[in-house]
Amino acid sequence: MSELKEKGNALKAMNAKDRKRAIGDIMMNNAMFIIIAIAIVLIALKEPAFVSVPSIINIINLTAAKLPIALGVGGCIILAGTDVSAGRQVGLAACIAASLQLTTNKLFPEMGVQAWYVALAAVIVVGAILGFVNGFCMAKFKLHPYIVTLSTQLIIYGIILLYLQLGTNSGQTLSGMNPAYRELITGELFRIGNTVVPMYVLYSVIITIIVWVIWNKTAFGKNMYAVGSNEEAANVSGVNVVRTIIMVFMMAGALYGITGFMDAARIASVNATTGLNYEADAIAACVIGGISFVGGIGKVSGAIIGVLLLQVIFTGLTYLSVDQNLLFIVKGLIILVACAIDMRKYLVRK
Amino acid sequence: MEDQTPKKEVHSSFKGLYKNARISVKTLDKFIVGGILAMILILFYGVANNGYLATYDSKGGTDVPSQEFMYGDLLDEPEPPTREGYRFVGWYMDENCFYPFDFEATADGDVTLYARWEKVE
Repeated sequence: MSELKEKGNALKAMNAKDRKRAIGDIMMNNAMFIIIAIAIVLIALKEPAFVSVPSIINIINLTAAKLPIALGVGGCIILAGTDVSAGRQVGLAACIAASLQLTTNKLFPEMGVQAWYVALAAVIVVGAILGFVNGFCMAKFKLHPYIVTLSTQLIIYGIILLYLQLGTNSGQTLSGMNPAYRELITGELFRIGNTVVPMYVLYSVIITIIVWVIWNKTAFGKNMYAVGSNEEAANVSGVNVVRTIIMVFMMAGALYGITGFMDAARIASVNATTGLNYEADAIAACVIGGISFVGGIGKVSGAIIGVLLLQVIFTGLTYLSVDQNLLFIVKGLIILVACAIDMRKYLVRK
Repeated sequence: MEDQTPKKEVHSSFKGLYKNARISVKTLDKFIVGGILAMILILFYGVANNGYLATYDSKGGTDVPSQEFMYGDLLDEPEPPTREGYRFVGWYMDENCFYPFDFEATADGDVTLYARWEKVE
Protein backbone atom coordinates (compact mmCIF):
# COMPACT_ATOMS: atom_id res chain seq x y z
CA MET A 1 0.00 0.00 0.00
CA SER A 2 2.75 2.47 0.95
CA GLU A 3 4.39 1.70 -2.37
CA LEU A 4 1.22 2.81 -4.15
CA LYS A 5 1.09 5.98 -2.06
CA GLU A 6 4.68 6.76 -2.93
CA LYS A 7 3.91 6.30 -6.62
CA GLY A 8 0.87 8.56 -6.23
CA ASN A 9 2.95 11.29 -4.58
CA ALA A 10 5.62 10.96 -7.26
CA LEU A 11 2.92 11.40 -9.91
CA LYS A 12 1.64 14.59 -8.24
CA ALA A 13 5.13 16.06 -8.16
CA MET A 14 5.59 15.72 -11.94
CA ASN A 15 4.71 18.27 -14.58
CA ALA A 16 1.83 17.58 -16.97
CA LYS A 17 3.89 15.98 -19.74
CA ASP A 18 5.83 13.65 -17.45
CA ARG A 19 2.66 12.72 -15.64
CA LYS A 20 0.99 11.77 -18.90
CA ARG A 21 3.94 9.58 -19.81
CA ALA A 22 4.07 7.98 -16.36
CA ILE A 23 0.37 7.12 -16.53
CA GLY A 24 0.92 5.73 -20.02
CA ASP A 25 3.71 3.54 -18.68
CA ILE A 26 1.52 2.22 -15.89
CA MET A 27 -1.30 1.44 -18.35
CA MET A 28 1.06 -0.30 -20.75
CA ASN A 29 2.87 -2.33 -18.08
CA ASN A 30 -0.43 -3.53 -16.66
CA ALA A 31 -2.23 -3.91 -19.99
CA MET A 32 -2.66 -7.65 -19.48
CA PHE A 33 -4.32 -7.21 -16.08
CA ILE A 34 -6.57 -4.47 -17.44
CA ILE A 35 -7.80 -6.63 -20.32
CA ILE A 36 -8.39 -9.56 -17.95
CA ALA A 37 -10.41 -7.30 -15.63
CA ILE A 38 -12.50 -6.07 -18.58
CA ALA A 39 -13.01 -9.66 -19.69
CA ILE A 40 -14.19 -10.78 -16.25
CA VAL A 41 -16.72 -7.94 -16.05
CA LEU A 42 -18.06 -8.54 -19.58
CA ILE A 43 -18.32 -12.29 -19.13
CA ALA A 44 -19.97 -11.94 -15.72
CA LEU A 45 -22.57 -9.57 -17.20
CA LYS A 46 -23.39 -11.98 -20.03
CA GLU A 47 -23.22 -15.22 -18.03
CA PRO A 48 -23.78 -14.58 -14.29
CA ALA A 49 -23.13 -18.27 -13.58
CA PHE A 50 -19.44 -17.53 -14.27
CA VAL A 51 -19.08 -15.70 -10.95
CA SER A 52 -21.16 -18.19 -8.93
CA VAL A 53 -19.50 -20.09 -6.06
CA PRO A 54 -19.28 -23.47 -7.88
CA SER A 55 -17.66 -21.80 -10.87
CA ILE A 56 -15.10 -19.97 -8.72
CA ILE A 57 -14.23 -23.16 -6.83
CA ASN A 58 -13.90 -24.96 -10.16
CA ILE A 59 -11.45 -22.27 -11.33
CA ILE A 60 -9.40 -22.64 -8.14
CA ASN A 61 -9.34 -26.44 -8.49
CA LEU A 62 -8.11 -26.23 -12.08
CA THR A 63 -5.53 -23.63 -11.05
CA ALA A 64 -4.22 -26.03 -8.41
CA ALA A 65 -4.02 -28.84 -10.98
CA LYS A 66 -1.91 -26.74 -13.35
CA LEU A 67 0.30 -25.03 -10.77
CA PRO A 68 3.08 -27.66 -10.42
CA ILE A 69 3.88 -27.66 -14.16
CA ALA A 70 3.93 -23.84 -14.19
CA LEU A 71 6.36 -23.81 -11.26
CA GLY A 72 8.59 -26.25 -13.15
CA VAL A 73 8.58 -24.14 -16.29
CA GLY A 74 9.00 -21.03 -14.13
CA GLY A 75 12.34 -22.32 -12.82
CA CYS A 76 13.55 -22.88 -16.39
CA ILE A 77 12.45 -19.36 -17.38
CA ILE A 78 14.32 -17.85 -14.41
CA LEU A 79 17.44 -19.43 -15.95
CA ALA A 80 16.63 -17.31 -19.03
CA GLY A 81 15.59 -20.56 -20.66
CA THR A 82 12.30 -22.30 -21.20
CA ASP A 83 10.95 -25.81 -21.55
CA VAL A 84 8.69 -26.77 -24.44
CA SER A 85 8.90 -30.46 -23.55
CA ALA A 86 6.92 -29.89 -20.34
CA GLY A 87 3.54 -30.96 -21.75
CA ARG A 88 4.83 -34.20 -23.23
CA GLN A 89 6.67 -34.96 -19.98
CA VAL A 90 3.37 -34.60 -18.14
CA GLY A 91 1.82 -36.91 -20.74
CA LEU A 92 4.49 -39.57 -20.26
CA ALA A 93 4.19 -39.33 -16.47
CA ALA A 94 0.40 -39.69 -16.74
CA CYS A 95 0.82 -42.79 -18.94
CA ILE A 96 3.30 -44.35 -16.50
CA ALA A 97 1.18 -43.54 -13.44
CA ALA A 98 -1.94 -44.88 -15.14
CA SER A 99 -0.21 -48.06 -16.36
CA LEU A 100 0.83 -48.89 -12.79
CA GLN A 101 -2.69 -48.34 -11.49
CA LEU A 102 -4.88 -50.14 -14.05
CA THR A 103 -7.21 -52.75 -12.62
CA THR A 104 -6.95 -54.79 -15.82
CA ASN A 105 -3.46 -54.06 -17.03
CA LYS A 106 -3.03 -54.66 -20.74
CA LEU A 107 0.49 -53.19 -20.82
CA PHE A 108 2.02 -55.39 -18.15
CA PRO A 109 -0.52 -58.22 -17.70
CA GLU A 110 1.47 -60.06 -15.03
CA MET A 111 2.13 -57.01 -12.85
CA GLY A 112 -1.25 -56.06 -11.40
CA VAL A 113 -2.00 -52.90 -9.44
CA GLN A 114 0.95 -51.27 -7.69
CA ALA A 115 0.86 -49.10 -4.58
CA TRP A 116 0.37 -45.37 -5.28
CA TYR A 117 3.80 -44.50 -3.92
CA VAL A 118 5.44 -46.86 -6.42
CA ALA A 119 3.72 -44.95 -9.23
CA LEU A 120 4.62 -41.59 -7.69
CA ALA A 121 8.28 -42.60 -7.24
CA ALA A 122 8.37 -43.92 -10.83
CA VAL A 123 7.08 -40.67 -12.37
CA ILE A 124 9.40 -38.52 -10.25
CA VAL A 125 12.43 -40.62 -11.22
CA VAL A 126 11.49 -40.62 -14.93
CA GLY A 127 10.84 -36.85 -14.77
CA ALA A 128 14.19 -36.21 -13.11
CA ILE A 129 16.02 -38.32 -15.74
CA LEU A 130 14.37 -36.41 -18.59
CA GLY A 131 15.14 -33.16 -16.78
CA PHE A 132 18.75 -34.26 -16.47
CA VAL A 133 18.95 -34.78 -20.26
CA ASN A 134 17.43 -31.33 -20.88
CA GLY A 135 19.67 -29.64 -18.33
CA PHE A 136 22.82 -31.41 -19.48
CA CYS A 137 22.30 -30.38 -23.12
CA MET A 138 21.45 -26.83 -22.04
CA ALA A 139 24.48 -26.47 -19.76
CA LYS A 140 27.09 -28.32 -21.81
CA PHE A 141 26.12 -27.75 -25.44
CA LYS A 142 25.06 -24.13 -24.78
CA LEU A 143 22.25 -24.66 -27.27
CA HIS A 144 19.20 -22.42 -27.33
CA PRO A 145 16.77 -23.89 -24.77
CA TYR A 146 14.00 -24.08 -27.39
CA ILE A 147 16.10 -26.35 -29.59
CA VAL A 148 17.07 -28.67 -26.74
CA THR A 149 13.57 -29.01 -25.35
CA LEU A 150 12.00 -29.24 -28.81
CA SER A 151 14.18 -32.29 -29.45
CA THR A 152 13.33 -33.91 -26.14
CA GLN A 153 9.66 -33.10 -26.73
CA LEU A 154 9.73 -35.21 -29.92
CA ILE A 155 11.71 -37.99 -28.28
CA ILE A 156 9.28 -38.13 -25.36
CA TYR A 157 6.29 -38.22 -27.73
CA GLY A 158 7.86 -41.22 -29.45
CA ILE A 159 8.39 -42.90 -26.10
CA ILE A 160 4.75 -42.28 -25.14
CA LEU A 161 3.49 -43.84 -28.38
CA LEU A 162 5.77 -46.88 -27.94
CA TYR A 163 4.84 -47.20 -24.27
CA LEU A 164 1.15 -47.35 -25.15
CA GLN A 165 1.91 -50.16 -27.63
CA LEU A 166 3.27 -52.39 -24.87
CA GLY A 167 1.60 -55.73 -24.13
CA THR A 168 -1.76 -56.03 -25.87
CA ASN A 169 -2.74 -52.38 -25.44
CA SER A 170 -1.95 -51.39 -29.07
CA GLY A 171 -2.05 -47.64 -28.41
CA GLN A 172 -5.47 -47.48 -26.79
CA THR A 173 -6.57 -45.03 -24.10
CA LEU A 174 -5.75 -46.18 -20.57
CA SER A 175 -8.77 -46.10 -18.29
CA GLY A 176 -10.23 -48.09 -15.42
CA MET A 177 -7.77 -47.15 -12.70
CA ASN A 178 -7.47 -48.43 -9.16
CA PRO A 179 -10.24 -46.66 -7.15
CA ALA A 180 -7.90 -46.18 -4.17
CA TYR A 181 -5.54 -44.15 -6.38
CA ARG A 182 -8.36 -42.04 -7.82
CA GLU A 183 -9.70 -41.49 -4.31
CA LEU A 184 -6.25 -40.37 -3.14
CA ILE A 185 -6.17 -37.59 -5.78
CA THR A 186 -9.79 -36.66 -6.46
CA GLY A 187 -11.29 -37.59 -3.07
CA GLU A 188 -13.06 -34.91 -1.08
CA LEU A 189 -10.84 -32.55 0.93
CA PHE A 190 -13.83 -30.48 2.03
CA ARG A 191 -16.89 -29.08 0.35
CA ILE A 192 -18.35 -25.61 0.03
CA GLY A 193 -22.07 -25.83 -0.54
CA ASN A 194 -22.40 -28.71 -2.97
CA THR A 195 -19.07 -28.17 -4.65
CA VAL A 196 -16.25 -30.52 -3.75
CA VAL A 197 -12.71 -29.27 -3.25
CA PRO A 198 -10.61 -32.32 -4.13
CA MET A 199 -7.49 -33.64 -2.40
CA TYR A 200 -5.14 -32.57 -5.19
CA VAL A 201 -5.68 -28.92 -4.21
CA LEU A 202 -3.99 -29.75 -0.88
CA TYR A 203 -1.11 -31.52 -2.65
CA SER A 204 -0.69 -28.56 -4.96
CA VAL A 205 -0.49 -26.20 -1.97
CA ILE A 206 2.15 -28.41 -0.32
CA ILE A 207 4.20 -28.55 -3.55
CA THR A 208 3.97 -24.78 -3.93
CA ILE A 209 5.25 -24.26 -0.37
CA ILE A 210 8.16 -26.66 -1.01
CA VAL A 211 9.05 -24.87 -4.25
CA TRP A 212 8.83 -21.48 -2.47
CA VAL A 213 11.28 -22.71 0.19
CA ILE A 214 13.66 -24.09 -2.45
CA TRP A 215 13.58 -20.89 -4.53
CA ASN A 216 13.91 -18.47 -1.63
CA LYS A 217 15.59 -20.19 1.31
CA THR A 218 18.20 -22.54 -0.12
CA ALA A 219 21.64 -21.95 -1.61
CA PHE A 220 20.45 -23.81 -4.72
CA GLY A 221 17.57 -21.33 -5.16
CA LYS A 222 19.88 -18.35 -4.81
CA ASN A 223 22.27 -19.94 -7.32
CA MET A 224 19.37 -20.39 -9.73
CA TYR A 225 18.58 -16.65 -9.63
CA ALA A 226 22.29 -15.79 -9.91
CA VAL A 227 22.84 -18.02 -12.96
CA GLY A 228 19.66 -16.66 -14.56
CA SER A 229 20.56 -13.01 -14.14
CA ASN A 230 24.23 -13.31 -15.13
CA GLU A 231 25.84 -16.65 -15.82
CA GLU A 232 29.41 -15.34 -16.06
CA ALA A 233 29.18 -13.36 -12.85
CA ALA A 234 27.72 -16.39 -11.08
CA ASN A 235 30.54 -18.55 -12.38
CA VAL A 236 33.18 -16.07 -11.20
CA SER A 237 31.65 -15.91 -7.74
CA GLY A 238 31.97 -19.67 -7.38
CA VAL A 239 28.53 -20.98 -8.37
CA ASN A 240 28.64 -24.33 -10.13
CA VAL A 241 26.67 -23.18 -13.19
CA VAL A 242 26.39 -26.56 -14.91
CA ARG A 243 25.15 -28.29 -11.77
CA THR A 244 22.65 -25.51 -11.06
CA ILE A 245 21.17 -25.65 -14.57
CA ILE A 246 20.90 -29.45 -14.48
CA MET A 247 19.30 -29.38 -11.02
CA VAL A 248 16.72 -26.77 -12.07
CA PHE A 249 15.69 -28.92 -15.04
CA MET A 250 15.62 -32.06 -12.87
CA MET A 251 13.39 -30.30 -10.35
CA ALA A 252 11.16 -29.18 -13.23
CA GLY A 253 11.02 -32.78 -14.50
CA ALA A 254 9.99 -34.02 -11.06
CA LEU A 255 7.25 -31.37 -10.93
CA TYR A 256 5.97 -32.45 -14.38
CA GLY A 257 5.98 -36.02 -13.10
CA ILE A 258 3.80 -35.02 -10.15
CA THR A 259 1.48 -33.08 -12.48
CA GLY A 260 1.13 -36.21 -14.62
CA PHE A 261 0.52 -38.36 -11.55
CA MET A 262 -2.33 -36.05 -10.49
CA ASP A 263 -3.70 -35.62 -14.02
CA ALA A 264 -4.02 -39.34 -14.71
CA ALA A 265 -6.35 -39.70 -11.71
CA ARG A 266 -8.07 -36.34 -12.30
CA ILE A 267 -8.94 -36.98 -15.96
CA ALA A 268 -9.29 -40.77 -15.42
CA SER A 269 -8.38 -41.62 -18.99
CA VAL A 270 -4.90 -41.25 -20.43
CA ASN A 271 -3.75 -41.45 -24.03
CA ALA A 272 -1.06 -40.07 -26.30
CA THR A 273 -2.67 -36.60 -26.39
CA THR A 274 -2.64 -36.16 -22.60
CA GLY A 275 -0.47 -33.18 -21.75
CA LEU A 276 -0.53 -31.78 -25.28
CA ASN A 277 0.16 -28.01 -25.23
CA TYR A 278 0.32 -27.85 -21.44
CA GLU A 279 3.66 -26.05 -21.80
CA ALA A 280 1.96 -23.24 -23.72
CA ASP A 281 -0.38 -22.59 -20.80
CA ALA A 282 2.48 -22.84 -18.31
CA ILE A 283 4.75 -20.45 -20.23
CA ALA A 284 1.90 -17.98 -20.75
CA ALA A 285 1.04 -18.13 -17.04
CA CYS A 286 4.65 -17.49 -16.00
CA VAL A 287 5.08 -14.52 -18.35
CA ILE A 288 1.79 -12.96 -17.21
CA GLY A 289 2.89 -13.49 -13.61
CA GLY A 290 6.10 -11.52 -14.15
CA ILE A 291 8.58 -14.40 -14.46
CA SER A 292 10.74 -12.76 -17.08
CA PHE A 293 12.63 -14.14 -20.06
CA VAL A 294 15.28 -11.60 -19.10
CA GLY A 295 16.41 -14.21 -16.59
CA GLY A 296 16.87 -14.15 -12.83
CA ILE A 297 13.53 -12.48 -12.22
CA GLY A 298 10.33 -14.07 -10.96
CA LYS A 299 8.51 -15.22 -7.88
CA VAL A 300 6.39 -18.21 -6.87
CA SER A 301 3.50 -15.80 -6.25
CA GLY A 302 3.84 -14.60 -9.86
CA ALA A 303 3.35 -18.14 -11.16
CA ILE A 304 0.27 -18.56 -8.94
CA ILE A 305 -1.27 -15.29 -10.16
CA GLY A 306 -0.44 -16.16 -13.77
CA VAL A 307 -2.01 -19.60 -13.66
CA LEU A 308 -5.08 -18.24 -11.86
CA LEU A 309 -5.64 -15.36 -14.31
CA LEU A 310 -5.20 -17.61 -17.32
CA GLN A 311 -7.67 -20.10 -15.85
CA VAL A 312 -10.17 -17.29 -15.20
CA ILE A 313 -9.91 -16.12 -18.81
CA PHE A 314 -10.29 -19.59 -20.32
CA THR A 315 -13.10 -20.67 -18.02
CA GLY A 316 -14.81 -17.38 -18.88
CA LEU A 317 -14.44 -17.88 -22.61
CA THR A 318 -15.81 -21.40 -22.19
CA TYR A 319 -18.84 -19.95 -20.41
CA LEU A 320 -19.35 -17.68 -23.42
CA SER A 321 -19.37 -20.84 -25.57
CA VAL A 322 -16.63 -19.37 -27.73
CA ASP A 323 -15.43 -21.67 -30.48
CA GLN A 324 -12.71 -23.86 -28.88
CA ASN A 325 -10.43 -23.26 -31.86
CA LEU A 326 -10.34 -19.54 -31.13
CA LEU A 327 -8.87 -20.26 -27.69
CA PHE A 328 -5.58 -21.26 -29.31
CA ILE A 329 -5.37 -17.89 -31.02
CA VAL A 330 -6.10 -16.14 -27.73
CA LYS A 331 -3.38 -18.18 -26.00
CA GLY A 332 -0.82 -17.27 -28.66
CA LEU A 333 -1.78 -13.60 -28.47
CA ILE A 334 -1.50 -13.63 -24.70
CA ILE A 335 2.05 -15.04 -24.83
CA LEU A 336 3.20 -12.53 -27.48
CA VAL A 337 1.63 -9.51 -25.81
CA ALA A 338 2.82 -10.56 -22.34
CA CYS A 339 6.38 -10.90 -23.70
CA ALA A 340 6.14 -7.48 -25.35
CA ILE A 341 4.99 -5.95 -22.05
CA ASP A 342 7.79 -7.78 -20.23
CA MET A 343 10.35 -6.43 -22.74
CA ARG A 344 8.95 -2.94 -22.40
CA LYS A 345 9.49 -2.95 -18.63
CA TYR A 346 13.21 -3.58 -18.99
CA LEU A 347 13.57 -1.21 -21.89
CA VAL A 348 11.97 1.66 -19.97
CA ARG A 349 13.82 0.89 -16.73
CA LYS A 350 17.13 1.46 -18.48
CA MET B 1 24.90 8.64 -37.62
CA GLU B 2 22.97 10.35 -34.86
CA ASP B 3 20.12 7.96 -35.34
CA GLN B 4 22.16 4.85 -34.77
CA THR B 5 23.48 5.64 -31.31
CA PRO B 6 20.18 5.25 -29.39
CA LYS B 7 19.39 2.05 -31.29
CA LYS B 8 22.60 0.45 -30.10
CA GLU B 9 21.80 1.42 -26.54
CA VAL B 10 18.34 -0.04 -26.92
CA HIS B 11 19.41 -3.52 -27.82
CA SER B 12 22.27 -3.72 -25.37
CA SER B 13 19.79 -3.21 -22.54
CA PHE B 14 18.19 -6.58 -23.22
CA LYS B 15 19.41 -9.78 -21.62
CA GLY B 16 18.43 -13.41 -21.51
CA LEU B 17 16.11 -14.55 -24.28
CA TYR B 18 15.56 -10.91 -25.30
CA LYS B 19 19.22 -10.18 -25.95
CA ASN B 20 18.76 -10.05 -29.72
CA ALA B 21 15.65 -7.85 -29.62
CA ARG B 22 15.91 -4.58 -31.53
CA ILE B 23 12.85 -2.52 -30.93
CA SER B 24 11.98 0.89 -29.49
CA VAL B 25 9.45 1.55 -26.77
CA LYS B 26 7.21 3.31 -29.29
CA THR B 27 7.03 0.33 -31.63
CA LEU B 28 6.53 -2.03 -28.70
CA ASP B 29 3.62 0.12 -27.51
CA LYS B 30 1.97 -0.13 -30.93
CA PHE B 31 2.40 -3.89 -30.85
CA ILE B 32 0.96 -4.18 -27.33
CA VAL B 33 -2.04 -2.00 -28.17
CA GLY B 34 -2.61 -4.00 -31.37
CA GLY B 35 -2.52 -7.29 -29.50
CA ILE B 36 -4.86 -6.02 -26.80
CA LEU B 37 -7.30 -4.75 -29.46
CA ALA B 38 -7.26 -8.17 -31.14
CA MET B 39 -8.07 -9.81 -27.81
CA ILE B 40 -10.88 -7.33 -27.15
CA LEU B 41 -12.34 -8.09 -30.60
CA ILE B 42 -12.31 -11.82 -29.84
CA LEU B 43 -13.91 -11.09 -26.47
CA PHE B 44 -16.73 -9.07 -28.06
CA TYR B 45 -17.18 -11.77 -30.67
CA GLY B 46 -17.47 -14.17 -27.74
CA VAL B 47 -20.02 -12.02 -25.89
CA ALA B 48 -22.10 -11.68 -29.05
CA ASN B 49 -21.88 -15.41 -29.64
CA ASN B 50 -25.14 -17.31 -29.49
CA GLY B 51 -23.49 -20.50 -28.42
CA TYR B 52 -22.53 -23.79 -29.96
CA LEU B 53 -24.36 -25.35 -32.84
CA ALA B 54 -25.85 -28.82 -32.77
CA THR B 55 -26.48 -30.10 -36.30
CA TYR B 56 -28.59 -33.16 -36.99
CA ASP B 57 -27.87 -35.39 -39.96
CA SER B 58 -30.99 -37.47 -40.39
CA LYS B 59 -29.27 -39.68 -43.00
CA GLY B 60 -32.17 -39.96 -45.42
CA GLY B 61 -34.95 -39.22 -42.96
CA THR B 62 -36.98 -36.03 -42.64
CA ASP B 63 -34.93 -32.90 -41.96
CA VAL B 64 -34.25 -31.92 -38.36
CA PRO B 65 -33.41 -28.23 -37.75
CA SER B 66 -30.11 -27.44 -36.05
CA GLN B 67 -30.06 -25.99 -32.53
CA GLU B 68 -27.93 -23.44 -30.72
CA PHE B 69 -26.99 -24.11 -27.12
CA MET B 70 -24.81 -22.51 -24.45
CA TYR B 71 -21.97 -24.14 -22.54
CA GLY B 72 -23.30 -26.07 -19.57
CA ASP B 73 -26.83 -26.37 -20.99
CA LEU B 74 -28.34 -29.69 -21.98
CA LEU B 75 -29.44 -30.23 -25.55
CA ASP B 76 -33.17 -30.59 -26.09
CA GLU B 77 -33.80 -33.87 -27.81
CA PRO B 78 -35.55 -32.97 -31.09
CA GLU B 79 -38.65 -34.64 -32.46
CA PRO B 80 -37.46 -37.90 -34.02
CA PRO B 81 -37.29 -37.83 -37.84
CA THR B 82 -39.18 -40.34 -39.93
CA ARG B 83 -38.14 -42.41 -42.94
CA GLU B 84 -40.17 -44.75 -45.04
CA GLY B 85 -39.42 -48.41 -44.40
CA TYR B 86 -37.19 -47.67 -41.40
CA ARG B 87 -37.53 -47.25 -37.65
CA PHE B 88 -35.58 -44.45 -35.90
CA VAL B 89 -33.20 -45.86 -33.26
CA GLY B 90 -31.54 -42.73 -31.88
CA TRP B 91 -28.91 -40.04 -32.33
CA TYR B 92 -25.25 -41.06 -32.59
CA MET B 93 -22.03 -39.07 -32.42
CA ASP B 94 -20.28 -40.78 -35.35
CA GLU B 95 -21.34 -41.54 -38.90
CA ASN B 96 -21.12 -45.29 -38.35
CA CYS B 97 -23.60 -44.93 -35.50
CA PHE B 98 -21.45 -46.65 -32.91
CA TYR B 99 -21.36 -44.13 -30.04
CA PRO B 100 -24.85 -43.05 -28.93
CA PHE B 101 -25.23 -39.42 -27.85
CA ASP B 102 -26.25 -38.88 -24.26
CA PHE B 103 -28.77 -36.05 -23.99
CA GLU B 104 -28.25 -36.04 -20.20
CA ALA B 105 -24.60 -34.95 -20.60
CA THR B 106 -23.30 -31.53 -21.65
CA ALA B 107 -21.22 -30.91 -24.77
CA ASP B 108 -18.44 -28.32 -24.89
CA GLY B 109 -18.28 -27.58 -28.60
CA ASP B 110 -20.20 -27.81 -31.84
CA VAL B 111 -21.71 -31.26 -32.33
CA THR B 112 -23.06 -33.12 -35.32
CA LEU B 113 -25.38 -35.98 -34.56
CA TYR B 114 -26.31 -38.79 -36.94
CA ALA B 115 -29.57 -40.66 -37.04
CA ARG B 116 -29.51 -44.44 -36.87
CA TRP B 117 -32.14 -46.37 -38.75
CA GLU B 118 -33.29 -49.93 -38.50
CA LYS B 119 -34.99 -51.60 -41.48
CA VAL B 120 -38.57 -52.57 -40.78
CA GLU B 121 -39.31 -56.06 -42.13
